[in-house]
Amino acid sequence: MDPAASQDDFIPAGLAAFGIEADEIELAVINAAHQLFWPPILELLSIDTSAVPVERNPDLSQAPPSR
Amino acid sequence: MSEALDLPLRAQAQAIAAGEADAAELLEATLQRIEERNPALNAIVETFPTHSREMLASAPQGSLHGVPVVIKDEWPLPWRAQRFGAADMLANPEPGESAPYRALRDAGAVIVGVGNMHELGASSTGNVSVYGPARNPWNPERCPGGSSSGPASAVAARLVAGAVGADGVGSIRYPAAYCGLTGLKPTFGRSAMAGHHMAELSTTIVSGALCADAADCRLLDSVLFGEELQAGKPPALRIGVIRDEPAEDVAPAVREACEAAIEDLREATGGEVREVELPELAAATLATVLIANSESLGSITPERLNSLDPELSPLGRGLLKYRVLLPAVATIKAQQLRTLARHTLAKVFEGVDVIAWPTVPAVAPPLEAPMVELPSGTLTADEANVRGGALANLTGIPAISVPVGSSDGLPIGLQLQAAWGRDELLLDAAEALEQANGRRWVEAVPPPARGAETLEA
Repeated sequence: MDPAASQDDFIPAGLAAFGIEADEIELAVINAAHQLFWPPILELLSIDTSAVPVERNPDLSQAPPSR
Repeated sequence: MSEALDLPLRAQAQAIAAGEADAAELLEATLQRIEERNPALNAIVETFPTHSREMLASAPQGSLHGVPVVIKDEWPLPWRAQRFGAADMLANPEPGESAPYRALRDAGAVIVGVGNMHELGASSTGNVSVYGPARNPWNPERCPGGSSSGPASAVAARLVAGAVGADGVGSIRYPAAYCGLTGLKPTFGRSAMAGHHMAELSTTIVSGALCADAADCRLLDSVLFGEELQAGKPPALRIGVIRDEPAEDVAPAVREACEAAIEDLREATGGEVREVELPELAAATLATVLIANSESLGSITPERLNSLDPELSPLGRGLLKYRVLLPAVATIKAQQLRTLARHTLAKVFEGVDVIAWPTVPAVAPPLEAPMVELPSGTLTADEANVRGGALANLTGIPAISVPVGSSDGLPIGLQLQAAWGRDELLLDAAEALEQANGRRWVEAVPPPARGAETLEA
């Protein structure tokens, strides 16, 4: 299924599921944001990160511990 | 008019300490200048002369004794709650003593005003704010950069010599580049943050200085860090460059100025330029945005989103509601990308001292339509800017924007990034670059600071 085509359903269904109301202008903003963010999100999701350990409470003030 | 008014931050501090300038006169002159120049810029959204005079009256003999500064509308003051540039910031801010306020007060600084900012800190442009947009002193029809728009505009127009901003996704460095200033995004956790409404939640936001040059940033950031950032001669710098979007997909004038500056820096330090690879860079940009957006979700409820202040911009309202739809799995992936990017950078910084690329790929765009023309086509400024600004926030490393040129009368900034904790090296490198180009760009001042006391709005 074309991800872009699913937008017509995703946005209103998602907002409705959370009980979030949006007027026409807000919907236009949300749709524009979705068009911008969704393709790279799908790319991000397709990256195989199974071998990457998530740093538990990473100390961002320092380099990560050596692997 | 106090003669100290147009001095650099450090020179103001030195003149007051030596008894060569009167701090009370400087304060009154600063307030007068704000009154004269600010209406055309909207850089400062509130002054409070009585509180400023009280700060001066009780100012200790610190490193900034009697020196006027501006702080971004992102921290509370004892007499004023922050508004985060928004009619509704999804929090209930109250007046109070934030860590940056305490640091400034304890150094003897005098806060003369609150700097404008982009609504909710959500853009690199500064063109949307509950106060109306701040304007770029180099051209008031252009964006000052965001989200620390007001602090940058105020320093560029020489309303004050130093300002405190915040950088969650490039928000000190973008306005520094657009306004021709030096702006340091410190290593995560090194600078004062307590009292910020996201201080306990955010893993990307830091406070930092916006000043005309690196020496002034060193002084103001030393106050924010709570430790003296020692100056030194940089080593023969190994300068890393990339062949990727932040360096390649940029306007020709920006590319030319930044490449020349990198060569100047190499020559000045007797160093070398090495090509480096950052394979996670493109995904890291999105990862930063996802993490920064999701970290503010904890206080959001559907009911709250349905009762947003109608004065919040439609853009702000829509983006807040869209955040809720971002999939959690993407944020988990983003955290994994963060781990990967941090390991990659640790390896890269074994071979280079700094990584250099343009802070922003094009000069400040119009306030009315913040779009930029790049070799790849026309992009929103935000879309283009975040590609170069996000990595430092994602990984925690320090980064600095240094003015290195101009195009169409608008400044160009070069960004230098270093390994964790090497903030001092970035300041040293910035000073070496200033010296290499004869301080041409850090001493350049926009029209309202050249003697004309007002700007046409």
